[in-house]
Amino acid sequence: MTESVAVRAVGLGRRFGAQWALRGVDLELARGEVFGLLGPNGAGKTTTVRLLSALIAPTEGRAWIDGLDVIADAEAVRARIGVLTETPGLYERLTAVQNLEFFGRLHALAPAVRRERMERLLRLFDLWDRREGLVGTFSKGMKQKLAIARALLHEPSVLFLDEPTAALDPEAAFVVREAIAALKGQGRTIVLCTHNLDEAERLCDRIGFLRTSLLRLDSPSRLRGLAGKAVLEVQLATPSPADLVARVQARPEVRGVEAAGSILDISVDDLTRDTPDLVRTLAGAGAAILGVRTRTASLEDVYFEVMGARPPTDGGPP
Amino acid sequence: MGLVRTAMVGAVVRREVREIVRNRLLVSSIILPPVLLTAAPIILVALGSKAAPDLPADQVAQLVARHPSWVGLDGRQVVMAYAISQFLATFLILPAYIPLAIASYSIVGEKQTRSLEAVLATPLRTSELLAGKAVAALVPGILASWLAFATLLTLTAVLVAPALLPVITDDAWLAGVLVLGPAVGLISVEAGIIVSSRVNDPRVAQQIGGIVILPILALIVLQGAGGFLVDGPAYLAGAAVLVVIAAGGLRLAVALFGRETILTRWR
Repeated sequence: MTESVAVRAVGLGRRFGAQWALRGVDLELARGEVFGLLGPNGAGKTTTVRLLSALIAPTEGRAWIDGLDVIADAEAVRARIGVLTETPGLYERLTAVQNLEFFGRLHALAPAVRRERMERLLRLFDLWDRREGLVGTFSKGMKQKLAIARALLHEPSVLFLDEPTAALDPEAAFVVREAIAALKGQGRTIVLCTHNLDEAERLCDRIGFLRTSLLRLDSPSRLRGLAGKAVLEVQLATPSPADLVARVQARPEVRGVEAAGSILDISVDDLTRDTPDLVRTLAGAGAAILGVRTRTASLEDVYFEVMGARPPTDGGPP
Repeated sequence: MGLVRTAMVGAVVRREVREIVRNRLLVSSIILPPVLLTAAPIILVALGSKAAPDLPADQVAQLVARHPSWVGLDGRQVVMAYAISQFLATFLILPAYIPLAIASYSIVGEKQTRSLEAVLATPLRTSELLAGKAVAALVPGILASWLAFATLLTLTAVLVAPALLPVITDDAWLAGVLVLGPAVGLISVEAGIIVSSRVNDPRVAQQIGGIVILPILALIVLQGAGGFLVDGPAYLAGAAVLVVIAAGGLRLAVALFGRETILTRWR
């Protein structure tokens, strides 16, 4: 494994009783990559994180963090990772500082380093003024921020974040997203489990759709493009002539053309790559172009395409 | 179970102690029993030293023959010596009850707040976590029983009945309080860990784990009803048996405290 690979899994699987929670996962994450793990509840996201965090052993396959085997070098793996669990899981009868201090000791941080990092993180997450407050008196968002600070305290090279902004107000969520971006800039690899598709799209370099196995894995833009909804919408001055439609249809990058009056919808794989050529083709064919805009599939479209049908709606609540 | 690093165990103990002192219910259950169990024999001796019957000389001779530390006591003092000796068994309840209460709250509390997963995701070894929890639960129980014993000795020697001091410092008391008590505490911690891994309410864990106290209660009843007192060698033998049982219990506790078990089966 090269040094640029931070997380690697080969045929990773875990069975509980007769039920496979996860099976056949192959994964390779680069250093500094933010990877989003999307899937419904029970899809195996938590099991994946626990396997990669050396918390539970795989039934089949292997995994490495920074080249360290999660089974053979479990302790060293746990020293290199930071985990934000599904629930903050803080000690509510301790203060914020005491919570962080405990974890700093478990990571064998020197007292001066511990103090400096605790102050920096508590200030970053706007908890410094409440540092001596009992965590049991904190709001849900404050607890979540403290749990994130706890996961960052030992400056892990790989960070597993399970729903990091789930309980946060927009301001705190912004701080967390900024922190994730900053961590990526520092070369830390982040695995982000989330149900927030918008957040995944904004933060992640690549996204994996998981349901027991990895169903699809790619960058958000390619995922949207592969969903077949990358459409170039051209507004013409007059209704589209049939020969113009045929000429566009004949181009190799075009997946389909729909003409409705003076609007021409052209489906392609990659809008960034194909739009300039198509516009040149249309102009060269004498089309009077009034405007051009692009439409792509949303990550939600992709999600439902990968996971199965979109749940039926009845028009919403009365 | 890997080797245990003292710094890691120390970190766990420190955190546990910080949590214990903020749990009023737990603190009261640590403080009240020693106070009551120390006050009871003191009050008994203070009141009984005037009201106790004076035994005939032949009965006194019979009892003293079986308990050499009672030599020199008069008839009334022998009655008091017999009465206060019944309380030795109650000093075994302290190291049984207090660690059970602490271990139950500690483990069930972690289950309720789901705080263990983040801890298990650190380099801390399961053996270190278990050792830290055991020490934090065991030490207060042992210290409380020793402190209560020291208080009993002081008050007896200085205020109540100095003549009874040799009685409560004989082999049976010293073996019971200093050796059997900690052994009982060890069994109690294991019971707390084992039971707590299966229930979600600390009170239920204490009630089920309280089965550890039953043999001690049986001892108290049998001594009172049978008119006999267990001697020092018997207490030492009892401690040896408990340590052997504890070794087996430790394997079970470690198995129940495995990372995977905690994460996937603790509900």
